[in-house]
Amino acid sequence: MTPKIKASSELPVASVTILTPLTAPITRRGFVKMGGALFVSLSIPAGLSCHAAKSPTSLDPSMLASWLEIHSDNTILARTGRTETGTGMSAYYAQAIAEELCVRPETISLVLGDTDRTPDGGPSAGFLYGMANVRKVAAYTHQALLGLAATQLGVPVSKLTVADAIVSGGGKSISYGQLVQGQQLDLKIPVTGMRAKVDPSSPEGNGLAGLDGFTVTGDPPTKPVSQYKVIGTSYPMPGIPDKITGKTQWTCDVTLPGMLHARMVRPVTLGSTLISVGALDKKQYPTAQVVTKGNLVAVLSPNEWEAIGAANSIAATTKWTEWTGLPGSDNLTKAIRDYKWGAPSQSKGNPAEVNAALLGARKTISATYELPYVRHAPIGPFLAVADVRSDGSVIVWTHSAQLQGLRAQIANTLSISTDMVVVRWLDHSGQYGRTTFGGDGAEADAVILSQLTGKPVRVQWTLQEDLAWSSVSPGYVLDLKAALDPNGHVIAFRSASYTPHQNDARLLGAVLAGMPSCLPRPGSWVATESPFSAWSYDKIPTRLEEAYGMPNLAAESASGGLRGNIMRTPGQRQQNFAVEGLMNEAAASAGADPIQFRINHITDQRLIDILNATAKAAGWEPRPSPHPRARKTGSASVTGRGLCIVVRNNAYWVGIAEIAVTPSTGAVQVTKFAIGVDCGKIINPRQLDRCMKSGVVMGLSEALKEEVTFDKSKVTSTNWTRYKILTMEETPEIKVVQISRDDKGFGGGSEAANALGPPAVAAAFFDATGVHARRIPLTPAYVTTLLKAQPRTP
Amino acid sequence: MANELTLSVNGAKQVVSAAPETPLLFVLRNELKLTGPRLGCGMAQCGACSVLLDGEEVRACITPVSYAVGKQVTTIEGLPAVWAMQEGLSAPDAAKILHPVQQAWIDEQVPQCGYCQSGMMIVAVQLLAKNPNPTVAQIKDAFTNTPPSPHLCRCGTYTAIIDAVQRAATAMRAGKQAPR
Repeated sequence: MTPKIKASSELPVASVTILTPLTAPITRRGFVKMGGALFVSLSIPAGLSCHAAKSPTSLDPSMLASWLEIHSDNTILARTGRTETGTGMSAYYAQAIAEELCVRPETISLVLGDTDRTPDGGPSAGFLYGMANVRKVAAYTHQALLGLAATQLGVPVSKLTVADAIVSGGGKSISYGQLVQGQQLDLKIPVTGMRAKVDPSSPEGNGLAGLDGFTVTGDPPTKPVSQYKVIGTSYPMPGIPDKITGKTQWTCDVTLPGMLHARMVRPVTLGSTLISVGALDKKQYPTAQVVTKGNLVAVLSPNEWEAIGAANSIAATTKWTEWTGLPGSDNLTKAIRDYKWGAPSQSKGNPAEVNAALLGARKTISATYELPYVRHAPIGPFLAVADVRSDGSVIVWTHSAQLQGLRAQIANTLSISTDMVVVRWLDHSGQYGRTTFGGDGAEADAVILSQLTGKPVRVQWTLQEDLAWSSVSPGYVLDLKAALDPNGHVIAFRSASYTPHQNDARLLGAVLAGMPSCLPRPGSWVATESPFSAWSYDKIPTRLEEAYGMPNLAAESASGGLRGNIMRTPGQRQQNFAVEGLMNEAAASAGADPIQFRINHITDQRLIDILNATAKAAGWEPRPSPHPRARKTGSASVTGRGLCIVVRNNAYWVGIAEIAVTPSTGAVQVTKFAIGVDCGKIINPRQLDRCMKSGVVMGLSEALKEEVTFDKSKVTSTNWTRYKILTMEETPEIKVVQISRDDKGFGGGSEAANALGPPAVAAAFFDATGVHARRIPLTPAYVTTLLKAQPRTP
Repeated sequence: MANELTLSVNGAKQVVSAAPETPLLFVLRNELKLTGPRLGCGMAQCGACSVLLDGEEVRACITPVSYAVGKQVTTIEGLPAVWAMQEGLSAPDAAKILHPVQQAWIDEQVPQCGYCQSGMMIVAVQLLAKNPNPTVAQIKDAFTNTPPSPHLCRCGTYTAIIDAVQRAATAMRAGKQAPR
């Protein structure tokens, strides 16, 4: 909804018990009646999609008023379909709009996510695209306002200047608020794109099309970077004060008249089907009721505690079929190896040249890397509130990061028109990518239960349920090989990655209830060389990268198995772990300093600059790894340092870890971490600093602790003592290096920070012990095994 | 079966009707509409639900409401009043302030998703009441090793929390916060 307290008069927000009726959506007429709203149509834009205009529950993205309102007091209301996930995007959106309109960001309120109150859709990930939209809208509006001012003041546009919403020229001035009073401009925003819809043939393979929503096109004049006043400053994230005082209305705070609290009773294994539902003791739980549909079982009550007690009671007596069919997490690599692989899902490079180079090389190195299943694991489990009304219309409150995609999925599951569904966004626990494709979560549970009971329903997943049933970031096995010239320089490179499905956007509730769901297709992609990422080592021209994708583990089971999904820096996080691992091994093989070795394989000065700057901040002394005093035995700790790079989304990242390993116990402590980024023009140094440090924490958590474990029938890492994440005590001192460039556009300054921890720690582990760590997490048990098993690498 | 229970929450007397074994968290959230504490794990493993009971942190998700009877319950909504009372501020001034811990959380831009941060601030208030000038190691220890479990943040805001606790400590040692 909105991260600012102040809201537009027609949008009662932050008070979810007083809801905007679904039957009275905002209309264009409503905007005009408000007065002072700028309202436009300059041209008939090419590629304009008009179907949204017919729908009362959608805004037309080609209308300026759908995006922006300027009020008579010079305040601005802006709308974007993307949401705030905690990384500061709401600050960046306000900054981008403020910059182009020459106003202070504090004057801007945002409406985020809501499908009936925002125009464009799109995932909250990739804020660059969302920001490009609002920036262009602001730029178009700025031009329109200048035109209005020129007429009003009798001064040509070229002689006008704007500061803090006051247009001045020829000794006269007028405010934006005065300019738009009673005005109706015809300004249309040119857009391309479509609303999200369920589409089995979607090229992305997740079973939905249009997840990127609408993109604002054209090339309106924008402010030169040299004149920026707002972008580049550390504007605070707007929602923080309310989160600190308790004023924020979270998804979990939604209460509706007559609302029932629901707890789900899940199957006892991933593949179990329902035999019989346990009997409800109405004496002990007088207000509770049990609802089932297919394998979807829930217990509901107006009283949350009663729903919990009744659900536990029902769970104990409900009968399910027995099922086994998972390989067990200890056998993950074997299960992936045993799959009958066909052609790769995606392949980049030249097989003939690479194979010839590998065959002809005097020396080659090869290694296999393994990553376990991990998961997003937010502190707050999934939650949703749904109200399916008697007229068939649906309103859902959610913390999804893909509102329009979710809306399309809900309509598909209920077999109703998308126009019947409104999805509203509110703050909640982080998602870290798990809802980017419009899937997962408690939303399907909530709408199905609301439809069956005829009442508004709030579904709260438990932690155990979330850690067992939410989608997961699948394990990887990667085989890499490199050809070396006599100097140890890499002259050819081959990689193949093998992984289960990571595109499964199905809603669990729909699957269990046997209701319609989207149809994702398994597959994988070369993430180290994609629209999001450039191949870092451009001095290695001969290379072949292949990505192989298989179905979910236990895909044929009643629940669809371990539903694979993307997680921060998807694919690239895992593939880069292996690439950086092999580059580190090659550097060691060449007896070269790992930073200099990397610099020898790249030409991009941005990457070289951030490598050098981060190395300096970390106090890096050039030398080869392992350290001369490296050892793999003893009860005294031994230290090491290691680095890695990631290039993603016009951002160049470097991570340098310093660690202490205690060989006798297998304990690994990260003592210091330096992280550097050049992400083009930095929008907000403070928010970027936050994202960098927190990304380090999540990356180190993955490096040291995280693994989804499962036996032959179910996930077993279902609480925080079994799915361990990094604690404050385990968090190292973190140094941050930022390079901002005015001439390189904007880059992605958030998620790739996560990808630095595992390869940097693995490199530091080798430096400390002389043993290559080709698998994570580096738990004490695994480290002990690893150090005992391997001879010291020369 | 539901009982009438009298609670003292953020300085105000509250009569609620609840089964005595109901976790305090559900009473605070659903009956008293104090939504600062939130449900995380439901088994005292994360700290998202933490509140103060007579100044000591408890996990409201496993604390029966009956256990809170006769004790002072404090949620983040009540932190400004705690500070105002400590500083002897007048009622009008008290209404304008935040607890220094809250102010530090804003100044250091601590929350990302923010789901765990209510509990984190509760720990900070308890820590600073006992140790007005904690070292980084002492802060890490308080947030990690105090039973029943570490306070967990999945967004990874730990370093910002450390900075904010130290900032709040400085402000609290300096005394009265200027009204906002």
